Amino acid sequence: MSNIAGKAYAMNLVTPIRGYLAPLNKLFFWLVGTPLFKSRLQGLLTLSMIHYARWVIVRGDEFPRVEEHGQGEDSVYSYMFFFSNFNGTWEQYVDSFSAAIPSGLDLLWYKNVGWPKAVPELPFHAYVEHNQITTDYYYNAYPMAASNDVKSANKVKDALEAFVTSTRGATPEEFLGQYNRLLKSLQNDLSQMDASPIVSLASEAIAKRRRDGDRSNRRTTTHGT
Amino acid sequence: MPNQAGDAYALTTICPLENDAHQDRSVATVIRQRLKDLPLHEHSPFARVPNLYLCRLFVLDELTYQGSPARLDRLRSKYLVFVCDLHGPLDPFLAGLWDNAKETLASIFAFCVGFKDVRDGRTFAAFIEKCQLTTTFYFNGSTDAPLAEQLKALYLKQEFAKFAMDHQGEKADALQRAFADFVKRVEPSNLAGPTWRAGASTLDAAEVRA
Repeated sequence: MSNIAGKAYAMNLVTPIRGYLAPLNKLFFWLVGTPLFKSRLQGLLTLSMIHYARWVIVRGDEFPRVEEHGQGEDSVYSYMFFFSNFNGTWEQYVDSFSAAIPSGLDLLWYKNVGWPKAVPELPFHAYVEHNQITTDYYYNAYPMAASNDVKSANKVKDALEAFVTSTRGATPEEFLGQYNRLLKSLQNDLSQMDASPIVSLASEAIAKRRRDGDRSNRRTTTHGT
Repeated sequence: MPNQAGDAYALTTICPLENDAHQDRSVATVIRQRLKDLPLHEHSPFARVPNLYLCRLFVLDELTYQGSPARLDRLRSKYLVFVCDLHGPLDPFLAGLWDNAKETLASIFAFCVGFKDVRDGRTFAAFIEKCQLTTTFYFNGSTDAPLAEQLKALYLKQEFAKFAMDHQGEKADALQRAFADFVKRVEPSNLAGPTWRAGASTLDAAEVRA
C-alpha cells in the first residue's frame, strides 16, 4: 500500500451525504463554474500543489451493476468520492485547503454527514483522517516533477522552440540579447528536478521493505538455479 | 462533459468483486497482495500505457461510520476502485491500456464481477464502461497536453536549466555555438527523444534516446 508515488500523494475520501441533499450538492458543483460561486473556489487555483482532483457523487442504486442480476447498493446515504493528486505532505495539503478556501470547502462538503467545517483545523483534520482510504497501488508518469514543474516545463518548451526559430541567422550579439531576454522571461520556470526526498517514515519503511523483498527474491532465484 | 477538463479526462471506475474466497483468502486480500507485488515507477506496467498521467487502485471494502446519530451503511459488495487521470478521449486510452498491460489487468481484475467475459480490448472497454462513474466536478491544476509532450517538456526544462547554469557569462559567439550544439543534442521538437521515460523516479533512469 502506498499513497505516495515520487512527489505526488493520492488522497481518497469517501463521505456520506443524506440522500435528499445529494441533488443540492450536485447543484453546488455545477454552480462552481458560474461567476456567482467562482470566487468561493478562487483559492483552489492558488493551490498550485494540485495536479488533478475530482469529486463524484453517487446514490446507492447508482453503484455499478455489471451483470443484469447485479446487486447495486441499498445504502441509506448517497456518497461523495473525492480523489486528489497533490505534491507535499498530507498536513501541508489539508492545511492549505483549509486556509485557502474554507468557505469553498464548506460548500463542496455541504452538510455531508459528520462534516465539521473547514475551520478550525483540528476537527477538519480528524474528519479527513476518519474518512480517508489508503491507496493500494499508485502510479505517476513523472514522479520527479511537482505540478508546478509540469506547468513551467511547458512554458520552457514553448519558449525554447520559439527562440530557436527567432534566432536562426542572428549575429552573435543579436543572439546574446535575445538569449538574455529568454532567461529573464523564464526565470521563474527554470529549476532542476531530482528524485523525491523522503517525505515520511512510513513511505521510507515501504521503500525499504520493497528493497529487502527484492534482495530476498534475488537470493531465492540465485539459490534455485 | 463532466469527465473532462480541457483535454484531460477523469476515469473513475468502481468494480464490484465476487464474494467468493480464493484459496482460503478473501479476494480483497488477494487483490491487495497482487497490487503490493506490482513493480513501481518506470518498471510499472502502467508506464507503458500511452497518455496516462496518474492512476491508483484500491479495494473499497466498507463505508466509514460517522458515529451516532448517523446510520450505519454496509456494502453488499466489495469494490476494486480504479482511478485514472489521462490525456485525450477514453476509447483510444482503454485500447492502449489493454494492449500494454493486459497481463496485469487480467491478474488485478480477475475477481471482479463480469471480468470473466473480457477477452480483448473491445470487451475490456465494455467492462470498464459498465463500472464507470460520471464525474461530478473535475479540477485540472496541471496541464492537459499529451503525455509525450509533457515528458519532453520536463526533459527540456531539466537540460536547459543545466545549460543556463553552465554557460553563465559566456561571450556571445561561444554561447551561440554552444547553444547550437545543445539544440542538436536535445532536439526540442522531437517527442520521440531524447526525452524522459514515463514513471522515471531517478535521474539515472530518466533519459530515453530517440
